[in-house]
Amino acid sequence: MTDTDPGVPEAPADVDLGRVWISVAAQVWRRQPGWLERTAGRLLRSPGLARALLTTPSLLLPWLLTSIAVLAAGAAATTDSGQPLVALVAPAVAAAAIAYAYGPGMDPAWELSCSMAISDRMVLLVRALAVFAVNAVLGLAASAVSASGAAAAVTFGWLIPMTAVCAFALAVATVARSANAGAAAGVAAWLITVLSGRVASGHFAAAVTDTFLFLPYLAIGAVCAAIALYATRIPRGTLR
Amino acid sequence: MNVEITDLTRRFGRNQAVDGVSLQAGPGVFGLLGPNGAGKTTLLRMMATVIPPTTGHLRLLGRDPGAYGPRREVRRRLGYLPQNLGYYPGFTVAEFVEYFALLKEMPAARVPAAVATAVERVDLGGRAKAKLRTLSGGMLRRVGIAQAIVNEPELLLLDEPTAGLDPEQRVNFRALLRDLGQRATVVVSTHLVEDVGAACSQVALMDQGKIVFDATPDELTARGTEQGTGDAPLERGYTAVLAAARS
Repeated sequence: MTDTDPGVPEAPADVDLGRVWISVAAQVWRRQPGWLERTAGRLLRSPGLARALLTTPSLLLPWLLTSIAVLAAGAAATTDSGQPLVALVAPAVAAAAIAYAYGPGMDPAWELSCSMAISDRMVLLVRALAVFAVNAVLGLAASAVSASGAAAAVTFGWLIPMTAVCAFALAVATVARSANAGAAAGVAAWLITVLSGRVASGHFAAAVTDTFLFLPYLAIGAVCAAIALYATRIPRGTLR
Repeated sequence: MNVEITDLTRRFGRNQAVDGVSLQAGPGVFGLLGPNGAGKTTLLRMMATVIPPTTGHLRLLGRDPGAYGPRREVRRRLGYLPQNLGYYPGFTVAEFVEYFALLKEMPAARVPAAVATAVERVDLGGRAKAKLRTLSGGMLRRVGIAQAIVNEPELLLLDEPTAGLDPEQRVNFRALLRDLGQRATVVVSTHLVEDVGAACSQVALMDQGKIVFDATPDELTARGTEQGTGDAPLERGYTAVLAAARS
């Protein structure tokens, strides 16, 4: 009795079946990236960074659906009341999303990611930018739907405060290495700003309508962005 | 030497986790033994460039990982299995390994074959398309090993790699270690003495942040011939060295 089935032709002696199997397995197991990942890969010139972007916790479908629901509710309330509620809600939603974009506790393989050639800082920056852009688009859509009267005047006014609040949430999250701390700080800071604006000027939307606040917002945004960059800095050389 | 460490320290607040460690390691399997809290994981995390040292000098693969460019080069040639491997439950085995191959900046064209090779080497070929959330702890550990070796690293750092593996898998893993150690420097942190005896050509023993022994497994065994407690010769050497270091 021979070892081989007489009906099956034997492989030539010079064929490495292990290599053949690996080639087959590589084709069978490989994942075909979707159009979004391919586009991101081309734009970022890095398929790894594109994949990291698509694994952003606060860009996953449940989170996006929640953000859309919150902003839709804000748009409906704005239409009914004439108060610019979208402008007041959008910065807080975006700040929380930014804080939950990356970091220990949020990204399951965070420690492993920190040992990768594509630096964790690049991943953080790309994700933060993407989350901000997505939230800005959602906020603009909600504003466009609900714009009327007083609300129309602040359709875009919330973008600058949103930048500041997001940068603040990002700075706290990176310094404290805690997404929860970043989200809480961002939302709390925005709440305090809105309430302070109401107390100082007497109207609820002062935080997004008073143009003299825009310069401080931009300054806070720049300082917080610098803090986030410093917190994720690359150590320059080992100490002796 | 692929690993050159001189007077390395790492402090977390008041806790001195690593205290003046000096080590050298070339190609081969280097075992890092020690009790819980000895500083093994912190030392490995510094070698993996996850955290910087507080003081001291570290050279990996002939480069200083403190500077951005050399560190990126080191990371491309590095494989790291952390003690607590986080995973994305919705990823399949192949997707997880592929993700880290891409983050290691492997050329995209080489990635599919490298992933298939790594998955096969840890005997997970039959589960390559399985979601990670469906795998057992031992299988997840092997997925972690697969991502660590996917880029055929010149420096492979494994923190408790055999945790959760059954006896047969551990035997297979030790054979894999010996194979990898022929070309690369493999540093294995463990508190399982038998893993070191079976696979390592060099062993260091850490206690309270310091290296208290650095030689071959045979020399560690010899330390236990007259004193030390344990069921196996290497265990007796281990306990004898620890007792001497603490006395």
